[in-house]
Parts: sequence; C-alpha cells; structure tokens
Amino acid sequence: MKNKMQVAISIGIMCVLLTGAIVVQINTISKGAQIVGTSYAEQSLKDAVLKWKENYENMYNTLEKTKNDLEKVRQETTKENDSSNELEEKLANANKLLGLTELTGSGVIVTLADNDTIDVSIVGNANDYVVHDGDLMEIVNELKNAGAEAISINGQRITSITAISCQGTVITVNGEKINSPFVIKAIGNSESLSAISRPGGYLELLKNYVITNIEKSSNVTVEKYNGVISSKYMKNVQ
Amino acid sequence: MIVLSIIIGCLVGIILGVFAPTISYAYTDYLAISIVAALDSVFGGIVATLKNNFNFKVFVTGFFGNAILSILLTLLGNKLDVDIYLAAIVVFVGRMFNNLTIIRRHYLEKWEQTEAKNKAKLEEKKSE
Repeated sequence: MKNKMQVAISIGIMCVLLTGAIVVQINTISKGAQIVGTSYAEQSLKDAVLKWKENYENMYNTLEKTKNDLEKVRQETTKENDSSNELEEKLANANKLLGLTELTGSGVIVTLADNDTIDVSIVGNANDYVVHDGDLMEIVNELKNAGAEAISINGQRITSITAISCQGTVITVNGEKINSPFVIKAIGNSESLSAISRPGGYLELLKNYVITNIEKSSNVTVEKYNGVISSKYMKNVQ
Repeated sequence: MIVLSIIIGCLVGIILGVFAPTISYAYTDYLAISIVAALDSVFGGIVATLKNNFNFKVFVTGFFGNAILSILLTLLGNKLDVDIYLAAIVVFVGRMFNNLTIIRRHYLEKWEQTEAKNKAKLEEKKSE
C-alpha cells in the first residue's frame, strides 16, 4: 500500500513537471514568435545575432581586463622612476584628450527626443518631428563652440574620428546604432555650455519640433570611446 | 489512485506553467528536446504496463535520465555547431511511433476478441 502511494506521488510530480514544461515552452515560443516572426530563417538569424552579441560581450570583457592589467603593469614599472613618471602623466593626458578614458566634471546634459505627442494627420509632415542626424551634429558643434571638452551621445563618445550618420530609421554614432531619446552629455563650463539654449540658437529652433531638455550639472560623466583609433596612413612630416 | 494522481498532476502542471515566467528564448531548444525525451519515456511506460513488465525505477530513471542526456547532447551539439538534437528527436519520435503502434495493436486485438466472443454468443442463441 505504501509502495503504491509512493508510485502515485512520483507519477503525479512527473506529470506536473511534464505539463508545466510544455506550457512554459508554448508560452515562450508564442511570445518569441510575436517579436521575431515565424519563419525559420528569421529565427536562425536572431539566434546568430544573439550568438555574435554574446561573443562581442565576452571579447569586450577580455579587452577590458587586459587594459586594466596593462594599466597596473605600467603603474608598477613607473613607480620609482621620475622620467617615466612624467611619460606616464603625458600618456594619461593624451588618452584623456583622445577620448579613451571615462571623464567626469561640470557640464550640461541635453536631451532630444522624437515628438510622439503630435497628431500626424494634422501636422502634415511627421518627418519634421523626429530628431535627425543633422540636429545632433548641429548641437554637438554648438557645444564645442561653447567650449565643451568632452561630449558623448547615448554613451558614444565624440572623438576626433567620430561620424554621426543617418541609417534610415536609426542614427549611428561611432558605427553604433542609437535611438531616441538622445542624451548628449558635455563637460565644460556649465554656464557657457547652457547658453546654447539662447534665443535664436539651434536648440531654440528645435524646440518647436521635437522634445528638448537641457540641464546644468556639476557632475557629468562622459563615457569613453570603445573602439580603436587607427593610424595606418598618418605619417610624421620629416 | 494512480489515475487520480496523473489527472491532478497534469492540472497543477498546467496552472503552474501558465503563471510561471517564460524562459529565455535561447533555452527553448533545450526545453523542447527534454519534453520530447520525457514524452518518449511516458509512452515507453505505457507499453511496459500493457506487457506487464513495468518497473517503476526503470521508468523514473528513464524519464529524468533521457531528458538530462538529451539536454547535454544538445549543448554539445551547440558547442560543436552540429545539430545533434535532430538525431535525438529522430530517435525519440521514432520510438514513440513504435510504442504507439504496439499500444494500438494491443487494444485492437482486445476489441476483436470481445467482438468475436459476442458473435459466438449470438450464434449460440440463434441455434437454440
């Protein structure tokens, strides 16, 4: 009798597991199919993208670790040497200017977002009410004009080789896709940087079309550039 | 008792599954193959019951062992970039069809026997 009871309970538990797993699987697949689309080709493409993303993240982590190790070794070797200490300082400064380090300081945070409150059937051209690559370029240029020392858009640092371009429905900065809302962080004198919202300025003009916001901050953190700055064709003049 | 536990188990499983959070899309392959393996064990268990050589320990170890082994195989296949899970599905589903055939024949034969008995009884009555 006791044995039979045990068998019944075990079979019950197995039924719970089996049906539970089936229902969860069906739920997941139907949810995934909504996002991905039902065709096999699309699913395998999504799988491939996920795999590459994972690969990229792993590689990036390794790179980060190696960079930290390099930094440690550098500091240790230059600890007791005065001249290499100076070199180290120069190197750190150069990296700062190139955009290879995360920086913090006073500045402004400008936010631009697509205007989704407007009624497309009334205004006519909905294209006027989204943020374009040109708008970002204009704002970045105005910030530089106002004395910004370091700028980033949605985590992408503006370096000397950064391109802002339009890729149909998305904007790429440093080759990475970014989406609305666009958070532009700039380090510099926050008073003069915030002057880009002056009457007649580009931000004032943009305000008529898209959602804009600007705030001064004494503690802006600008992310570092994650790519590689190559120097294949540059040569020193003899 | 066993039938009752199966029904209650299935109901509880469905309710739990509906309210459980969905798993990450990357793991659906593994769950799918383990479900197929478990279903194969269930059909195997039914056939064993019909043949009167059902062993509970064999059934439970097969249920979980097959599921885990198939998940590991799928994992290995992903690492090697070979679709090993296809082979596992072919084997499991093939076996499921075999077992289904055995179950079907068993019940068909039973039905035919009862039919024949009924006929014999009818003829006996007629001859009387």
